[in-house]
Amino acid sequence: MTSYVLQRTVQMIVVIFGVVTVTFFAVRLVPGDPARLMEPPGTPESVIKITREQLGTDKPIPEQYVNFIRDFVRGDLGTSFRGSRPVMDTVLEALPNTLALGLISMALTTILSFGIGIVAAMRPNGWFDRIALVLASIAQATPGFWLGVILALLFAVELKWLPAVGRTGWKSFVLPVATLVISLMPLQIRAVRQAFIETMGEGFVRAGRARGLSETTVLGIHVMKVAAIPLVTLIGLQAGYVLGGSIVIESIFNWPGVGTLALQAINQRDFPMIQGTVLVIAIVYTLINFLVDLTYAALDPRVKY
Amino acid sequence: MPFPDFTGELTSSDQAPDASAPAALPVRRKSFLRQFSKRKVATAGLTGFLIIVAMAIFAPFIAPHNPLQQNLGDNFKPPMWKDGGTSEYPLGTDPLGRDLLSRLIYGARYSLAISFGAVIVGGVIGFLAGLVAGFYGRWADTLLMRLGDIQLAFPFVLFAIAILAVSPNRTVWHLIVVLGISSWVIYARVVRSRVLTERSKDYARAATAIGASRMRVLRKYVMPNVWQALPPIALLNLAFFVIVESLLSFLSLGLSPPTPSWGSILADGRQYMMLDPWMALLPGIAIIITVITISLAADGFADLLDPKLKFGAFRRQPLKTSTPDIDPSGERLPLLSVRSLTTQFPLDEVTITAVDDLSFDLGRGQVLGIVGESGSGKSTLGFSIMQLLDAPGRVVDGRILFDGADLARISNREMSAVRGDRMGMIFQDPGNSLTPVLTVGYQLEETARKTGKIPAKEARTAAIAALQAVGIPEPERVIRAYPFELSGGMQQRVMIALAMIGTPELLILDEPTSALDVTTQAQLLDELDRLRRERDLAMIFITHDIALLADFADSILVMYAGQLCELGPANEIIRRPRHPYAQALLNAVELVDAPGTDRLAVIPGDPPDLSRHLPGCPFADRCPHAMAVCRDVEPKPVAVGAGHLSACHLHTQSTEDAAA
Amino acid sequence: MTEPILRVHELTKHFPIRRGLFGRASATLRAVDGVSFDVHPGETVGIVGESGCGKSTLARTLMWLDEPTSGSVTFDGQPVSSGATDLLRRQMQIVFQDPYTSLPPRMTIGDIVADPIRIHGTHPESEIRSQVNRLLTEVGVSAQRAGQYPFQFSGGQRQRIGIARALAIEPRLLILDEAVSALDVSVQGQILNLLQDLQDQHGLAYLFISHDLGVVRYLSDRVLVMYLGKIVEEGPAEALYAKPHHPYTQALLSAVPTLRGRRSERVRLRGEPPKPTSPPSGCAFHPRCPMAQPICAKETPLLLPSGPGRRSACHFSGQLAGNG
Ligand SMILES: Nc1ncnc2c1ncn2[C@@H]1O[C@H](COP(=O)(O)OP(=O)(O)OP(=O)(O)O)[C@@H](O)[C@H]1O
Ligand code: SF4
Ligand code: SF4
Ligand SMILES: [Mg+2]
Repeated sequence: MTSYVLQRTVQMIVVIFGVVTVTFFAVRLVPGDPARLMEPPGTPESVIKITREQLGTDKPIPEQYVNFIRDFVRGDLGTSFRGSRPVMDTVLEALPNTLALGLISMALTTILSFGIGIVAAMRPNGWFDRIALVLASIAQATPGFWLGVILALLFAVELKWLPAVGRTGWKSFVLPVATLVISLMPLQIRAVRQAFIETMGEGFVRAGRARGLSETTVLGIHVMKVAAIPLVTLIGLQAGYVLGGSIVIESIFNWPGVGTLALQAINQRDFPMIQGTVLVIAIVYTLINFLVDLTYAALDPRVKY
Repeated sequence: MPFPDFTGELTSSDQAPDASAPAALPVRRKSFLRQFSKRKVATAGLTGFLIIVAMAIFAPFIAPHNPLQQNLGDNFKPPMWKDGGTSEYPLGTDPLGRDLLSRLIYGARYSLAISFGAVIVGGVIGFLAGLVAGFYGRWADTLLMRLGDIQLAFPFVLFAIAILAVSPNRTVWHLIVVLGISSWVIYARVVRSRVLTERSKDYARAATAIGASRMRVLRKYVMPNVWQALPPIALLNLAFFVIVESLLSFLSLGLSPPTPSWGSILADGRQYMMLDPWMALLPGIAIIITVITISLAADGFADLLDPKLKFGAFRRQPLKTSTPDIDPSGERLPLLSVRSLTTQFPLDEVTITAVDDLSFDLGRGQVLGIVGESGSGKSTLGFSIMQLLDAPGRVVDGRILFDGADLARISNREMSAVRGDRMGMIFQDPGNSLTPVLTVGYQLEETARKTGKIPAKEARTAAIAALQAVGIPEPERVIRAYPFELSGGMQQRVMIALAMIGTPELLILDEPTSALDVTTQAQLLDELDRLRRERDLAMIFITHDIALLADFADSILVMYAGQLCELGPANEIIRRPRHPYAQALLNAVELVDAPGTDRLAVIPGDPPDLSRHLPGCPFADRCPHAMAVCRDVEPKPVAVGAGHLSACHLHTQSTEDAAA
Repeated sequence: MTEPILRVHELTKHFPIRRGLFGRASATLRAVDGVSFDVHPGETVGIVGESGCGKSTLARTLMWLDEPTSGSVTFDGQPVSSGATDLLRRQMQIVFQDPYTSLPPRMTIGDIVADPIRIHGTHPESEIRSQVNRLLTEVGVSAQRAGQYPFQFSGGQRQRIGIARALAIEPRLLILDEAVSALDVSVQGQILNLLQDLQDQHGLAYLFISHDLGVVRYLSDRVLVMYLGKIVEEGPAEALYAKPHHPYTQALLSAVPTLRGRRSERVRLRGEPPKPTSPPSGCAFHPRCPMAQPICAKETPLLLPSGPGRRSACHFSGQLAGNG
């Protein structure tokens, strides 16, 4: 197990390094001069030159890359071009808001999906299963951003029950969390259902029944333990959905998180900030998947190195 | 929204090696459409989607207005069914007075074109990458798959957004490339895992063995079995892109205005949400309908390729009828008395009668051996007695009296009290019969506690004793082991220990040694023999190897096509079988066993097809003694000796007939 | 005696067991470990052994589907190497165990049987059809069904088709890797008869690999017994079955259930075969051998002649061959 953890740690560092590199080149490979793009059209060449120096884009790419990596290791993501605060500070301030939203949504999604998915799996093609699947299909086809807009329209604008924007009290969580949960659930319900149906067809389930174990024991312990393992991975993937989706959901509800920050930065063409937000989100995602893999290894005795 | 989301289900089922069971028949192209059209929902989805595609293609002819035509006098018209709406603008107009319906129809055009394009780009790159990685392996594999890992370790929409945000102008091509590249990993992974599975199958080896070059093996043998996996994935990918494209234009990162697009209509609508909620609602509905039709079609494809999930979980339903009064003899019943047992699997088009009007008795401490060819219904018989039939199997007739209780009719609660405590079952595949993630000790202790015969505190001791009783040398070590850490022989011993811990009176063994080597098989048989003598245990021993029973069983039941062929004392049946099928079966074994034989006397033809219930004797097609009557009248078991039954017309016809 | 058609010398196939991030080999699995034997034209050589003893790896290595780690294979006097497998694959063919995976599912059976002819160009395109029909008829499959797909056939019929494919280029040696093991007894008998007929007609040599001792005895002239990647005994079938010269063969034979056997009289083995990644020292069989002596754990017995046409790898094969 220790060697597995070590190995995964090394792997994670490699991936983070890859992510940093990809981010670096992605922003630079786009045709055009960032400095020029950042400034309004018609800015004199002298000003653009200063901008370029501030961004460091006047230097050759390899040198930029080395500087970038060095700064990154020191925890320096540069300075925002609008507001002149260190990008790191701004992002770290917004991160807890994004994480709170994400964690609550993920937890709720997992609880609800397991409940619904398991009940549906008990009687495939039964009425509950059919209804659950139809609703899941509709929810899966519903774009999250549209749902957010419609929910806001209904509950905040029309009914005025809930705040539409910002982070104020617990009430302000309701709409963004609901939007995320509804978008996340269909996939997880289907996966839970499928994992349980498949596992229930395994030989050990029949063997468990054959030695008289109660249905509760067979399903609650044997099936649950086996079926849950692949679902851990899915939860990791969904963390990506939440993080990536935060850009949209946060901006719809004006939630003070990293996503809103990223979208603002994009609209303002604030390159250091774009780079910083993308990087932080990707790193958080990598860390989550690292934890997911460790959980997986802890749950499944067959993963041993 | 990252991209791997929707593949969770597909890839997982895809990586599972193809079950070699005949049930997983490959679907052929010709019948593909026909099979698909049987799935009504999927067909509806596909039709709906094709209609949407047609609307997009023929937009200029269908749309009532030019989507870009502004008509400021008519702005903010509500849909025609609201006050103030007109049939000229069926769905109303936007702030610039452009016709919403026309904009939605044209929106479908761009949305679908971009999504299709992206699917093609991603699919082609992914397919090629997967083929190369899977077939050539080595460094190409490592490189491509690590690249994929890094890409997946990245919420890719972020990346797409970042790229599109900084690109000065965005055309359809930009979007196609950015979206397409983002999805290649999905295809590459599926294709690679398929290629790996397929190329290691024997048919690919055989192709190399006949001298086919690598290219030929790949092109002619492996590829046709790989691309089949792609349509459902591509469809789901398409549906996903429709959503992502609209998301991008919602964020004003899609096509530059004024090109109509569902996302940008929605973004406009959001600004005027209070004035005109329809503008926000309608594009969403258009997206939902499109995506649903696509995913229904995709589900249809996936179902065809992977029909596993059709039948549901185990669900025992006791027979509602009362126990038939078949032979109301006053004498004491044996431990197990089965009469007229009939078990069926009602499938879509046919009903398989896997056990057909079968009767036998089994006394305490006796061993009944059951032999028959594959598919003759041996396992189904065992599961019927244990009341553990897989859906949709059901006992439809007869009775199973176990110590006076009719197992086909007692309640579920009563039945689960019988299982484990009074009756146990061992299966062919020990590796699959133990829960993989629980230790041997856990499973034993849990079972010990469940019986209620052992105080909870002594469960551990009981578990160790149970392992010792089946001849496991180091029980303290094994008890901490996970099943996968044990060899097949050890696993099967653990299974027996699990079954014995509840001290049952009857043990059903379904080919318990077929998966094991001969030397291990011999050890296990010794162990079983000892157990049954020590504990006065009755056994039903199912096997396809009649020689195993020679020194082990008290009586033997030979099954053919779910029916009783011959039933009698073991030594009688082995020395002097009466039924032509039993004779042929023994002949086959005997001849191979004995030295210096020239040519085997074999049973011609193939085992019968249980889905067609023909009149007459099921063996008639292959029987060397078949007579005219055999094809019309089903032979009933008749006594041919003390406790010896055989179901053949030869016994009832005159002896001259029989000799003929 | 005739020149052997196949000559195998010290053939070895090791698989590295890779672990860890950088895939370094942490152990070696000795699947086939220094195997030597000959096959003569028209002869049937049987290979028996328990699962995992390396039988199938041997078959695949001989066919050059896996490249051997060391040792040599000579086919018809010509050494085989990675660059020179053509002759081998023209004259030696293989039939696999599983009738459900050994045929490509999406090719018609006619196409399957025709492909070897096309690859080697042994017949012009115009004759292929009649060749395929002849082959199918010969193995007992109706030539009218050439346009059907494998899933439309039963297990036994598929095995026949697999044999037809192997025979298509008229090889002189056929490797049968558990070719009847997946079949029911009744169907097994049909295939065994077919194999004998084909041998009589074409003078084929067979290398018949199986875990089923009865079937091997029925078909083989000579039998090799494998344990943990090595041949432990070799001899003419009847003599070897009548009087094994190796304790393992003895135990194996006595473990086979027979209709007349009395189980109580049998030799019993302790334990289970060890893992081929960590074979025991000396004679690999010593932890289970009922005859083991201290020397067995120290010295590896060589495969030495122990009687007419017989070889055995046991320090005490002389005793077994002599008395009893
Ligand atoms: N779950 C199922 N659904 C549909 N048909 C089934 C199912 N299980 C068994 N059958 C059918 O019932 C018949 C009897 O099968 P069964 O498994 O009892 O045979 P068997 O004698 O145990 O064969 P084997 O020796 O291969 O184990 C077969 O035709 C089989 O296809
Ligand atoms: S009833 Fe007729 S066909 Fe059936 S086994 Fe007897 S003789 Fe053969
Ligand atoms: S060498 Fe020793 S251990 Fe090996 S088989 Fe002979 S007697 Fe047994
Ligand atoms: Mg069975």
